[in-house]
Amino acid sequence: MKGAALAGLCCAVSLATSAHDFDLSVDLRAVSSRGQTSYLNGGLGKLRFDQTHDGLRLGSLRLAYRGDITDSLHLTAEAFAYGDQDVNPLDLTELHLSWRPVPKSLWRTELKLGAFYPAISLENRMRGWRSPYSISFSAINSWIGEELRTIGGEYNLDWLGQQSDSNFNLGFTAAVYGWNDPAGVVMAMRGWSLHDRQSTLFGRVGRYGQGVIDGRKLFYDDIDGRAGFYLGASARFRGLLEARLMHYDNRGDPAAEAPAIDDYAWRTRFDAFGLRYTPDEHWTAVWQYLRGSTAAGAPVPPNDWRFDSQFLLLSWRHGRHRLTARYDDFSMQQRVSYFGALNDDRGHAQTYVWLYDINPRWSIALESLQIDSDLHSRSWLGEPQIAHERQLQLALRYDL
Amino acid sequence: MHARSLLLAACVTACTVLPPVGRPVVAAELSVTIQNPDGRGVSGAVVIAEPAVPAPRARTAARASMDQRELQFRPEVLVVRTGTAVDFPNSDQVRHQVYSFSGAKTFQLALYAGRAHPPVVFDKAGLVTLGCNIHDGMIGYIYVTDSPWFGQTDDQGRLQLDGLPAGSYTLRIWHPRLSDAATRLDRQLNLQAEQKSAIDIRLTRALRAPTHTHGSDKRWEDY
Repeated sequence: MKGAALAGLCCAVSLATSAHDFDLSVDLRAVSSRGQTSYLNGGLGKLRFDQTHDGLRLGSLRLAYRGDITDSLHLTAEAFAYGDQDVNPLDLTELHLSWRPVPKSLWRTELKLGAFYPAISLENRMRGWRSPYSISFSAINSWIGEELRTIGGEYNLDWLGQQSDSNFNLGFTAAVYGWNDPAGVVMAMRGWSLHDRQSTLFGRVGRYGQGVIDGRKLFYDDIDGRAGFYLGASARFRGLLEARLMHYDNRGDPAAEAPAIDDYAWRTRFDAFGLRYTPDEHWTAVWQYLRGSTAAGAPVPPNDWRFDSQFLLLSWRHGRHRLTARYDDFSMQQRVSYFGALNDDRGHAQTYVWLYDINPRWSIALESLQIDSDLHSRSWLGEPQIAHERQLQLALRYDL
Repeated sequence: MHARSLLLAACVTACTVLPPVGRPVVAAELSVTIQNPDGRGVSGAVVIAEPAVPAPRARTAARASMDQRELQFRPEVLVVRTGTAVDFPNSDQVRHQVYSFSGAKTFQLALYAGRAHPPVVFDKAGLVTLGCNIHDGMIGYIYVTDSPWFGQTDDQGRLQLDGLPAGSYTLRIWHPRLSDAATRLDRQLNLQAEQKSAIDIRLTRALRAPTHTHGSDKRWEDY
């Protein structure tokens, strides 16, 4: 069903498209990791790479397309390959149509249909949902990249105050979507993580046969037939300050079971807040906070987890150089378990990055990431609960 | 203020300020200085001397240009005389969709790069605010005036207007980041022939901070 809907979108592209814009991005890495066995490799380490999976790696290969079908109708497609033995070597992360007519007054409407990101992150502001500030995303945005995608429709209403004499632009968002019932399963098992992988629309989070959700044939899946929603608002003050807030509820039915994958729909709800301050051309500060819960399983009350995280990012840009420091704090507690054992995750992370643009096509990034965490589920695998994970990455990047 | 926009302003001024035949050659000079509350000059402020008796229409249509570079309108503010045809070249790699729904001029230019559209004629006086429907951070202004005597202040906040016929004028000041009410800065002037007048205006509130973008790097796209 999801595939059919997205295929329909692809057909829409075959209409005479007036302009095409193709992107190719390659990111090659030299990685030194002192992490526990990664969640991608059957462990509960929070890093993408671990001690047996480091050295020279493919960071990502990205192919993207943007096309203007009419003056108001635009198509976006983003596909990634990560080389982490994913089920599909290359797979879509986003595919959507947006209809955005030129405003005739201070109010502007936009309608998006397809698979895309809810506007939560103030950090991922490059094409392909990449971050200009670091290699690895914050804990909040790493989680959004791996468990959340809007597959449905979104309506945006913007008030373009800056087109009159106001200092503000305001935005309001409402969305209805499906195929997001597994959201929460990774959080419940592995807790928070920091990396740069985005789950693809037809892939899994980890490697088949390994990892915390190895049984899933497909990650973005609908189990209960119930649509989810979110409501959001944003305010921009003269390009200097941007604030966003969102309430998200996938309305999953925790009792709805999918026998094929021996799992339930996950009811995931959260509130997200964020501020980005850009006082001048050099400095950027980003703060985001997210707090929510997820629940799954037939008993009443079902298994229940609470989670929250926040980060503060400071970035300084001068010419071709950019320096970024980010501090992440995260926690997850299971409140109810009908197996008796309660999972729990607490920790923090420090990220330091130097990015350098060699020229408009080539750039390099050097990132040091330290995650200190206490994750109870590691003890179920016979591993130490407390981990001090360290990862150094050097990326060579090319953008066409 | 960028040299290019100064040149452009000078060109537009030269095209429109030449006195029509039959006007008295003995004209007044007007020097205007605009300062922030701390004494620093306000650059790029629009200064217009509006005559009480409407000036004759320009004999030839003036031409001006509002460029788009690094996801910004350049210049940020363009002052033109009524009837001026303005080109909107796009010098960025990415496409822009320029629009305005201001009362003085409502128009839109379909998505484009390079020089895809003929110039737009601004035939009504007033402030026209420009936007790009793809990049909300892009905001520019075209100030359209019936008066032939206008300009923008230099880096020191100074502007000299020459060749004004004797008579009554309203001096109007505008800047996109003005905190003072623009009407409070208006001055009534009575210029005599061959008179050299100097007007110093000090703002009571500092200009608001400028906004900035991350350049024309096409990798950027806010989510």
